[in-house]
Amino acid sequence: MMTAPDFARGGGSMELLRVVDLAKHYDEEAAIAGVTFSAAAGEVLGIVGPNGAGKTTLLEAMAGLVGADSGNLLWLGDALPPAHRKAAIFYVPDGVKPYQDRFSKGYNRRLLLAIGLLTPHRVLLMDEPFDGFDLRQTRNIVEVVRKAAGAGRAFILAIHQLADAERVCDRFILLAGGQIRGIGSLRELRTQTGISQGSLEEIFLALT
Amino acid sequence: MYPLLAKELAEILSGRALWTMLLLICPLIGFSFIEAVSLYSEASTAALQSPAAAATLSPLDGILVPTFGSFYVAVTLLFPFVAIRVLGQEKESGALRLLVQLPYRSSTLVLVKLAAILAAWAAASIPVLSTLLIWALLGGHLGASETANLLFGHSLYGLLVGAISLFAATISDSSATAAIVALATTIGSWVLDFTLAGRPGLSAWVAKLSLTQTLQSFEQGLLSAGLVLGMVTVVGGLAALSTVWLPPGTPTRVKFARSVPCVLATIVALGLAAQIGASADVTEDRRNSFSPADQKLLATLRLPLVVTVDLAPEDPRYIDLRRNVLGKLERAMPNVSIVLAGVRQDQAGQSDAYGQVEYVYGGRTDFSRSTSPREILPLLYELAGTKPPAPIQGPEYPGYPLVANANVTLLWFFCGLPLLIALAWWWSRLSPAVKS
Repeated sequence: MMTAPDFARGGGSMELLRVVDLAKHYDEEAAIAGVTFSAAAGEVLGIVGPNGAGKTTLLEAMAGLVGADSGNLLWLGDALPPAHRKAAIFYVPDGVKPYQDRFSKGYNRRLLLAIGLLTPHRVLLMDEPFDGFDLRQTRNIVEVVRKAAGAGRAFILAIHQLADAERVCDRFILLAGGQIRGIGSLRELRTQTGISQGSLEEIFLALT
Repeated sequence: MYPLLAKELAEILSGRALWTMLLLICPLIGFSFIEAVSLYSEASTAALQSPAAAATLSPLDGILVPTFGSFYVAVTLLFPFVAIRVLGQEKESGALRLLVQLPYRSSTLVLVKLAAILAAWAAASIPVLSTLLIWALLGGHLGASETANLLFGHSLYGLLVGAISLFAATISDSSATAAIVALATTIGSWVLDFTLAGRPGLSAWVAKLSLTQTLQSFEQGLLSAGLVLGMVTVVGGLAALSTVWLPPGTPTRVKFARSVPCVLATIVALGLAAQIGASADVTEDRRNSFSPADQKLLATLRLPLVVTVDLAPEDPRYIDLRRNVLGKLERAMPNVSIVLAGVRQDQAGQSDAYGQVEYVYGGRTDFSRSTSPREILPLLYELAGTKPPAPIQGPEYPGYPLVANANVTLLWFFCGLPLLIALAWWWSRLSPAVKS
């Protein structure tokens, strides 16, 4: 089990959320196992991994939309049971098309992002926020996310495109087979793997 | 809560199910109404020459019940598809994962969805409500209380079907599965009623649970407190179960555990509602009551009256006795017990006592084979040691014969109303202009 060092940036940001030993099984298979990390105010944390790594399950377990088999969440140091998580965390899921008869996939996606950004929650979970967008749109979204993070919101983004993750995230959680294989900023991960100038992609391949 | 309700109403209006149902029921209700008016006019033609025959013509039986009967069929078969949409669409599109994150309790979400379902039922009732207006324009009479009672009964029935459909949508993965579950319940209820009604014992009790039976009292002009409470209880129970099963993150075993007290509470409440015998006769012709003078005197007879009926429940004589005497006695007297002697119709010929009804009041007993109040009431007064009352002078029910031709309304039900519905559907799909 790997844990994350508390995030410190500039004057030191407050830890908002801590995930402790979260696990979820489907039949005999562990979708996520022993996941522990924290997220601080103003931080953009990226959960990166291939399809089937457990990113969506992790986000849904955190949001309380899927019942975790073990583990818990702490909000500002206090336990956050599933029934109360929607007061603290908002989850923007992937693959939701609320107005599929009227709007295109891209427009539905932008609508969901707008809904998430309009909520008052201090922690926003987003599953594949850049999916379906072109380069220019992706850069615009990155700008919006960074601006919101600058105002003190914490973002936890599940991203499978490592290039997008490298562009927007402050820290990374490398997830594969439901387990954390590496955690930290790009610099910390380079130090861990010994790849001094390595890209996130090279680091991911080295650790998984 | 109002933004949430507005969202739910918009969801229903944006779907095809409600509009399709409206278009389909226009000709169905129109045909039923025109046929009802035609038959009523035929009967009225003969009755116009005879006041006695005219007094038997009631718009409740001749026009309203048959017309609303076709609406009942439409609600049973088509309304589940409308009601399922309030949740089924969100489940299929994934938007449920957003909905449950809103700062509302699951119970609030379910109640708002039920309110939207009731609003959808109100919209679906527009064709049948237009028949009331047309009947009035043709010169027909509408008794306010009996019409309102019938509408109330149908609205409760619509809410019940809606609650069943909402619960089906909550426990099903897809709208198609939910539709199968809901229709299995509503149509299965028809089968229950058809096969078990009129049979004695447990079968009769089970048949009473059929959805079809819920409307019978209202169609007969009775407002039964026990029935209304029972229907509201079932709607409440289904809403509670929907609240338990709605959140996607709760483990299934926890949902089952939480469902048990809901089901038990509903059963207990239903049992209590079944004990409530209070009902009001809201018909204009007072068909469910004795004369005012008899009602007044019977209300003063406070000792228990025990009626033992040696008839099979499916025997037409028992049905007559029930309708003409026993039901009215239960409403008029404060303490009446009716006991069936437990005879089956195939045993009818085996006993000389078959067909006999025993009346016990104040320690005195008498027997009768009559099913008419003209013989039974004097018998009861004699048992009570009191004289029959002097009749209270009041207006007799005149009956409302009307010879009318409703064929011109074919244009309304087959052309005009469907066109309006289609226009409303088109208008509802126009995107609102966004000010820049």
